[in-house]
Amino acid sequence: MDHAKLERNGIAFALAILGVASIGGIIEIAPLFTIENTIEEAPGMRPYTPLELAGHNIYVREGCYACHSQMVRTLRSDVDRYGHFSLAAESMYDHPHQWGSKRTGPDLARVGQKYSDDWHVAHLAAPRAVVQGSVMPGYPFLSETRLDTRYFSEALTAQVRVGVPYTEEQIANAAKHAAWQADPEAEYEDDLIDAYGDKVQIRDFDGNPNMVSEMDALVAYLQVLGTLVDFDALNPEEIAR
Amino acid sequence: MTPEKDPISGRETTGHEWNGIKELNTPIPKAFRLWLWISIAVAALYWVFYPSFPYGADYLHGALGYSSREAVQVAVAEGAATRAEAFDIFETKDVNELAEMPELQAQFEGEIAVLYRDNCAACHGRDAKGQKGFPDLTDAHWLWSGSPEEIEYTLQVGINSAHEDTRIAEMPAIGRDEWLEQAEISDVIDYVLSLSGQEHDAEAAARGIDLFAENCASCHNGEGVGGYENGAPDLTDSAWLYGGTRADLRETLQHGRAGVMPAWSDRLSAAEIRKLTLYLLWQGQGDGNS
Ligand code: HEC
Ligand code: HEC
Ligand code: HEC
Repeated sequence: MDHAKLERNGIAFALAILGVASIGGIIEIAPLFTIENTIEEAPGMRPYTPLELAGHNIYVREGCYACHSQMVRTLRSDVDRYGHFSLAAESMYDHPHQWGSKRTGPDLARVGQKYSDDWHVAHLAAPRAVVQGSVMPGYPFLSETRLDTRYFSEALTAQVRVGVPYTEEQIANAAKHAAWQADPEAEYEDDLIDAYGDKVQIRDFDGNPNMVSEMDALVAYLQVLGTLVDFDALNPEEIAR
Repeated sequence: MTPEKDPISGRETTGHEWNGIKELNTPIPKAFRLWLWISIAVAALYWVFYPSFPYGADYLHGALGYSSREAVQVAVAEGAATRAEAFDIFETKDVNELAEMPELQAQFEGEIAVLYRDNCAACHGRDAKGQKGFPDLTDAHWLWSGSPEEIEYTLQVGINSAHEDTRIAEMPAIGRDEWLEQAEISDVIDYVLSLSGQEHDAEAAARGIDLFAENCASCHNGEGVGGYENGAPDLTDSAWLYGGTRADLRETLQHGRAGVMPAWSDRLSAAEIRKLTLYLLWQGQGDGNS
């Protein structure tokens, strides 16, 4: 083979490397330019409320994704057990997405409203106290840790930078919205519905009215998973791809 | 410049020399190259036959028109049709008729147990015997009656759930909301202990009779036997949902209780809910009328 010529011409060699490497690059990157039509139009999908977003961040921090996927695959066994297969739209506001690659425990993409808040709190505190033989670790400290809401506006701003459409008003009120969502007595239900739509769940998730804890955030996040998209209103052509 | 040939192997060298060492310019083995070309050919065929690459507002659909989403919808529908046939009886008969057919148990219990474990065991336990806060579903003590229809309805709408027709069962926070003084609560607790035949202070319990009649009987019934209309439990038996010790009772009266049973009509089909109803009836009680 005649690489002597290339090897003796530095600029040509550099150009050849660039050409070959960019083939791989284009194949990976080009689909992102068409992402607008890759993501289905899914009625009901909305960005997380600040409380749910905090729950998402705790989920990532604690490494729940190491044992749980959030991706109902297009396999019969998955759909029969967990429900409708996951849509791209359902994780479009997840940064980073939580599809996961391993199921030590069940898939959580549609766990929202499958169990009660009380059950989640008891289960997260001590999984084996409610599920015999579970190998999931306990996270009892979440109930005792006050949720740090100081940087919520910044957290939402960071999401905006990667494409999540939070409004100025949502950003400015992030910390307040988080506290209201975990406090049904606060009676700001209308404000929250104005800001995030009528599927926002307003409850004292952890059962402790005296404090908004990390447990409130994590349970609020778990309870919204897979509940937003209105599958009856979904255009079948939109998802047939 | 012609490359130098190595006299021993007869191959060309790369033309470089490092401290007197030269390198042969040997091509990779044929089999290896062949494999590489086959892979490239298979990839090209995939591009032709299967959905491959997006462009503009669409993507290459591939000659076979395959879509994994359509394929799974077909597979799920086929599975459901097969199941509908195998479990035909649960599609066509109502729960009362099914409850009269004990022979179904031997035939279907194994399959339905899987459904139970996927959806119910986390709260009610694998054996359906419940745990604190989650009722035992195998005994004769029911919150909403053990008749097949009522059980089916509970599964459909849940209790204190997010369903619009949910059953509501709320035990008020007698202490926190200051319905009664702490001393009065103590007296009522002694009365409740007496109802279930536990150790109690007879004088305090006597003071509790009227308090109970005024504050509790509207839901728990005059004799404390509870009622199926509002899911208030029977307080005279030993089947406690939240525990029957003095400390448990104080906790219940102080903070109130409202256990949540999720609604299943959105998650499970009507036939699946019927199957689970039957499954519960088979788990050892079946006294629908008590
Ligand atoms: C070591 C692996 C592991 C980790 C880490 C883990 N889990 Fe689990 N999880 C399990 C297993 C196994 C189960 C099934 C048994 C059970 O229900 O406890 C489970 C069950 C669950 C369920 C019930 C799902 C269902 O449909 O029944 C939820 C919800 C859940 N986990 C949430 C979490 C959250 C939130 C975290 C992070 C804070 C987490 N898990 C971390 C292993 C894990
Ligand atoms: C999140 C936990 C949870 C799950 C999951 C759950 N239940 Fe329940 N269930 C409860 C609670 C709590 C109650 C009692 C509600 C109350 O306190 O009034 C209950 C009550 C019931 C009752 C009424 C009992 C009575 O005495 O009238 C039935 C029947 C029942 N569940 C069946 C099921 C079945 C079948 C499933 C699975 C499809 C299931 N449950 C899943 C928590 C749960
Ligand atoms: C508004 C109706 C209502 C009133 C009034 C009421 N209860 Fe209840 N009570 C309930 C309901 C409903 C439950 C079941 C809660 C649940 O399922 O989570 C309950 C549960 C209980 C329990 C727990 C039983 C168990 O199995 O663990 C006790 C004890 C109890 N009530 C005692 C009382 C006493 C004593 C009073 C009066 C001071 C009272 N209740 C007043 C509706 C009521």
